[in-house]
Amino acid sequence: MPVYVYAVTLGDHPCRLDGVSGVGAGSAPLRTVPAGDLKAVVSDVHEEVGPRRRDLVAHQAVQDRLLEDGTPLPLQFGYTAPDDDAVRQVLKEQADLYLGALERVRGCVEYNVKASWDEEHILRRILEESPSARSLNEQIRAGTDDPRLALELGQYVADEVQQRHSDAAAGIIDTLVPLAREHAVHAPTGEDFLNLSLLVARGPDGEGALQVAHADLVADGETGVEIRVAGPLPPYSFVG
Amino acid sequence: MTMMPQGPGAGVARTGGGGGTSSLYDVLELILDRGLVIDVFVRVSLVGIELLKIDARIVVASVDTYLRFAEACNRLDLEAGRRAPAQLPDLVDNMMESGSRGKTKGALSGAVEAVTDSLSGGAKGKAAKDEEQAEEEYAEEEAPRRRRPARRPVRRERE
Repeated sequence: MPVYVYAVTLGDHPCRLDGVSGVGAGSAPLRTVPAGDLKAVVSDVHEEVGPRRRDLVAHQAVQDRLLEDGTPLPLQFGYTAPDDDAVRQVLKEQADLYLGALERVRGCVEYNVKASWDEEHILRRILEESPSARSLNEQIRAGTDDPRLALELGQYVADEVQQRHSDAAAGIIDTLVPLAREHAVHAPTGEDFLNLSLLVARGPDGEGALQVAHADLVADGETGVEIRVAGPLPPYSFVG
Repeated sequence: MTMMPQGPGAGVARTGGGGGTSSLYDVLELILDRGLVIDVFVRVSLVGIELLKIDARIVVASVDTYLRFAEACNRLDLEAGRRAPAQLPDLVDNMMESGSRGKTKGALSGAVEAVTDSLSGGAKGKAAKDEEQAEEEYAEEEAPRRRRPARRPVRRERE
């Protein structure tokens, strides 16, 4: 029977998975497939699994539970193996790779930091600080027929927005990265100008320091800037 | 998974509109795009989820972008003119109040809700629930963004 694979852990991970449901409508029970010094966390697949809210939540809930007792290697969402034997075979063949990856993230968790800047706030700030942009804006509002003015204003503002986004991102990165063991800068999506993943040590020196630094950033930050920190997460960005 | 509180000094209040699920939106791309890949296993179809990446609002150097920003600036000052322009702190406070509601559901979360709801055939997400009817119509195609100038760049709809 095909199995959905959630994560790879060390063989001595307790994998306390009671009460956590697997992917699929039937919420098949979770179990482990051990091989050597490793084991995989799986559940039987009775039906099609897809990128539904239910299945995404189930995938993440398993990671959250595993994380409580030791950092797992989370699989990307959506991988199924034909049967337990196929899982065992991969664990054996890739044992060194996975053991190395688990060592890399041992005692650590991922935090993902996203930042956005409310557009009205950033535009207002740009107009406040640039007399020439204000002047262009006034001329357009007064009903000029010259279409070049709007382009000129727009280009100036776009450049400023980009510059301010990049400066703000750099400031956040410079502040938070020293608190992390590793970091990865991902492409921002949606309205965000920053998407940063940090591999942080458990405890006050890592997670605690990050929390304090985040609070300071928020307190000192520009009006309209929102910095969201999600975590602790399994080390999705640091398994390679 | 928990979200760190933003603390009392947060520039934009993060209201609890999304509850626990809003944190799923913030980590969705990690779940889908990061994590261990085992090539010999089969990955389930992720059809529909590409929608997530449509609305990356990176500033693109284009005429459409310039015009959109110019219009946004024009609108911004018109709004400011109607209020007392000399009292900037009050104005900013007001903006924050009205702006924070718009922030709670970003473009990404809107898209995710549209995707996950349409795929699961489940109940309508908050994209459909709590906002104007007009937004419902767009929810499936792209993430709605509040207070965006009326003339939208063509680029977004094509990409």
